[in-house]
Amino acid sequence: MNRSIGVVAVLTLAATAVGIVGDTVRGEGPQPARPAAAEGDITVWAMGTEGENLGVLADAFMEEFPDVSVEVTAVPWDAAHDRIVTAIAGGEVPDVSLIGTTWMGEFAVLGGLEPTPDSIDPSQFFEGAWDTTVVDGVSYGVPWYVETRVLYYRTDLAEEGGFNQAPANWDELTQLAQATVDGGAEYGISLQPGGIGAWQTFMPFFWQAGGEIVDEENNFTIDSEACVESLTYYDSFFEAGLSQDTVSDVPVEGLFADGSVGAFISGPWMIGVITDAGADPETWALAHQPTEASGTSFVGGGNLAVFEQSDNKPAAWAFVEYLSRPEVQVTWYETVNDLPAVQAAWDDDALAGDELLSAFGEQLDDAKSPLAIPTWEQIASALDGQIEQVTVGDTSPEDGCQAMQEEAESIGTGL
Amino acid sequence: MTASPAFAYRRRRNWRQALVAWSFALPFVVLFGAFMAGPILVSFLTSFTDMRITDIRSPFGVSFIGFDNYVDVFQDPAFRKAARNTALYVLFAVPLTIGLGLLVALGLNQATVRLRNVLRLGYFLPYVTSIVAIAVVWRLILGTDAGLLNGLLGGLGVKGPGWLNDSRYSLWSIILMTTWRGLGLQMIIFLAGLQAIPSELYEAASVDGAGRWHQFRYVTLPMLRPTLLFSAVIASIGLMQFFEEPFVMTQGGPLDSTVSVAYFAYEQFSFGNYGYTAAISYVLFMTIAALTFLQFRLLRPKT
Repeated sequence: MNRSIGVVAVLTLAATAVGIVGDTVRGEGPQPARPAAAEGDITVWAMGTEGENLGVLADAFMEEFPDVSVEVTAVPWDAAHDRIVTAIAGGEVPDVSLIGTTWMGEFAVLGGLEPTPDSIDPSQFFEGAWDTTVVDGVSYGVPWYVETRVLYYRTDLAEEGGFNQAPANWDELTQLAQATVDGGAEYGISLQPGGIGAWQTFMPFFWQAGGEIVDEENNFTIDSEACVESLTYYDSFFEAGLSQDTVSDVPVEGLFADGSVGAFISGPWMIGVITDAGADPETWALAHQPTEASGTSFVGGGNLAVFEQSDNKPAAWAFVEYLSRPEVQVTWYETVNDLPAVQAAWDDDALAGDELLSAFGEQLDDAKSPLAIPTWEQIASALDGQIEQVTVGDTSPEDGCQAMQEEAESIGTGL
Repeated sequence: MTASPAFAYRRRRNWRQALVAWSFALPFVVLFGAFMAGPILVSFLTSFTDMRITDIRSPFGVSFIGFDNYVDVFQDPAFRKAARNTALYVLFAVPLTIGLGLLVALGLNQATVRLRNVLRLGYFLPYVTSIVAIAVVWRLILGTDAGLLNGLLGGLGVKGPGWLNDSRYSLWSIILMTTWRGLGLQMIIFLAGLQAIPSELYEAASVDGAGRWHQFRYVTLPMLRPTLLFSAVIASIGLMQFFEEPFVMTQGGPLDSTVSVAYFAYEQFSFGNYGYTAAISYVLFMTIAALTFLQFRLLRPKT
């Protein structure tokens, strides 16, 4: 009794002491994740369009935090992965970097990334997007921008074929594909039969059937009834000739615009692409993924992470927190059209007023990310291969699912 | 007992000579050691470890696992598929490039051919063009739905196959492209070889009543033996490692029909399986070395 009181007393004293110390040094020395303590130089790496335009936000940040100097380095996407690996191995890291969501597992296990401080509230982000930062139970970084996949379909062709609404479930998606063919399309829906990234189109169907890649103990649970069901369903489009079983050398936007393809599943960037390809806005619409056990889609995008070897973490996190503010996320959307990962940003008129975009906003509430594990790219490649074996080759969905499971198990999670 | 002055002088001179020689060789030795010999040794050692990308911050913490990687390589169905593709590719592309290269060289060696230099340039040009650029252009030519070749076939009323996206044709399309590209180098080598054959031999042969075929069979071919050896070795070393064609044109697909051993190693490297990749690379290296040795045995000049 006495002892436990003593322990509590010591703890309380210690806590108070820390509090006092914390208060006194605030603003003078480095304080973990306190914006007020942010000062000094930080280097930020970003790829592609983000890298070219991040300077806009960096300037605004420096106005608010005059003690911090932000240097943005644009890195090409192709070179980014290897550059980050080399940086971590050599200890010459930037303070903050944009990290592709599927790389999180690798860099986190490599020990390159700093865990997210508690001052950042996970619930402000879309859940599926936040999950991309979580590796083996610990979050490393925050989602910066997101993308998810919805159904693009030709309403005019579908109506011609006698189908007048957005498809609510799998049966209706098949009916829609058939209707667009009846309405004049060569193929009802463009689905990727195999090759790099086919899993991104297939996995939503797997999730919609109730499938999970792993259970709570990180054991693979790919081979399941849901897998067989979804793979059978996916294959049915190729079997029925509703989807082309070779990867065409004509990009899908052209085929969609000229009515050769009735529908496809893709991300927000395709709105601009199909418009440029000449698709009449009156002839097409967006729809939520079909709903079975769920209407889940795939969520991707980019995360912001602070490096473990960074020597100015307070300023680095301050910059990350700044980029996560809803109003900054809206500015960023207006600058480069990246969809905000922060839910509150979607209430802004810039996004809420756009009917096409709100389709993505709704889908983001039901979107999942692949597993954040270091071996994900290799497992994804195995999934791509097995999907192709089923859609193009002679493998049955049962054998395909079993092979996915076996390959995933032999690769392991790498955690 | 003391050494004679002459001996001491010679020793000093030898030592100085060695110093001068080494200082000339030093730039090469240092660069070779740092960028070739060192990495080769390290990659060889890596092939016996379980090193993965997650180990790069503590590369000395990896464990040695003996020949496990090598055993895994040979048991991996994906590697076997890649090995089969590579074997098929080399088996057809090497004789094709050598055969056609020789044929073109024989043709262009005739003094009567007009525009000889233009033709030589034409055949040789693909070889000195960047292979990636060539692969990109051929991808456009061989496209199934919008490709140039299928467009021409379509004009003739024939529906062309999926040259690159049908697993029955993809590897053969790449073999044909390689042959077209590699032919120029073989042609140049054979032209040089042909011109080194003394014309007296042909004169003597024709005096003995040998026709064109017999002249080719009993004069040209035996005299070209060293050239053939060189051609075969160069061609198989290069083609065994084919990578850019599938990398640019097919990404190994469809159905892994164009995955080569080098491409497979590249894939494994990008997955971060460094130990395994090193093992694959050494298997490829050993195979190339063995094949080269075999060619030297089979084609060495008969004495």
